Amino acid sequence: MTMLFLIVLLEALLAVIALAQLGLKVSLVAFGAVMLFYAWASIHDIKGRYIPLQRAEIPWLYDGIAEMAKKANIPMPRVYLLDDYIPTAYSFKNAVVLSLGLFEVLDQDEILAVAAHEIGHIKNGDTKTFPLLACGKYLMLAFTLFLMVLTRNAVLSISALALAGLYELAWARFHKDREFAADETALRLLETPMSLKRALEELKYYEDLRTGMKSNAVPSIEPTIERKPKQRPPIIETHPSYDERVLRIIIEINGNRMIKNRIQ
Amino acid sequence: MKPHEFKLTEDGIKAVLPPLEAEIMEHMWKVKVATAGQVYEVMRQKHPDIRRSTISILMNRLCERGLLERSVETGRGGMRYVYSITSTREEFEEKVVQSILDALMSNFREATYAYLSKIKK
Repeated sequence: MTMLFLIVLLEALLAVIALAQLGLKVSLVAFGAVMLFYAWASIHDIKGRYIPLQRAEIPWLYDGIAEMAKKANIPMPRVYLLDDYIPTAYSFKNAVVLSLGLFEVLDQDEILAVAAHEIGHIKNGDTKTFPLLACGKYLMLAFTLFLMVLTRNAVLSISALALAGLYELAWARFHKDREFAADETALRLLETPMSLKRALEELKYYEDLRTGMKSNAVPSIEPTIERKPKQRPPIIETHPSYDERVLRIIIEINGNRMIKNRIQ
Repeated sequence: MKPHEFKLTEDGIKAVLPPLEAEIMEHMWKVKVATAGQVYEVMRQKHPDIRRSTISILMNRLCERGLLERSVETGRGGMRYVYSITSTREEFEEKVVQSILDALMSNFREATYAYLSKIKK
């Protein structure tokens, strides 16, 4: 994360060097705007078709999340169900969002594993840093455009562009690392850590089936599914692939087993 | 739902729907309302390798086709999606015949009239 802050600072420094007082003023205004937006975002919830979960509705889920939150030493998160048939989950502030689609494709242990990953993000402070760093992306873009338009200096413009590109790369790297860290936290919270691996494998299967990557996994079943054209993958991946995550989970679980066996 | 293609080599509704979707619809017309989990349990008997994800995707595709509709229900197992049929099998078959005859009439009017009057006799 320090790397990301350093890149933003360097960009601001570039503006100050190139435009002196104006650069300083613009940098201060931009930082102020980001902080204001961050403060606003931390008060307001993300909008969506959320259904707040009451314990009586799904006791095993509510109790499971409460137990994991206690283990993680964080307050009980708010739990929302999202009216979306596509299996997905995310977290913001101290809230976990699980789509109803998850309940169609995963079993109870696997759903708890997905929730554990989101609790991992809350525990590791990602729900606080991600919005701030996402603001940083727009800040970098604005600064780069500002420097290119006002200075009309090739060296400065290229430097600003390079810094913006560097920020993108560092942000993607940071994002991936946080996903792995959330998985590691989840493994420590789960009663059956393997359920996270199973959940990721099923979600990968679902995604492959929807995007049409799997051509003949189960003969006579998948080929009958009509597929939408493949989506173009993003240039910079901010999320690790399911395979990368599953591999790390296997290594982590087996590593823990080996350590336990040696202690015994 | 209006069929966009008619497979002459397939039987029944498999002529207008992919085989697995046709099987799901056959079951849904019997039970009228079901969750994806319940349909999965039934389909698993005939297709042991089938996965929950496949059933969920296909049932939502049937929703997109207008043959099923999805609603949120709070039941014994908590909140979940429940799927129900939008028309009976007879209504669906009527629509299929109607759209095929409409297509024949607009493309091969004379021949269709001639053949229909021949089979009427």
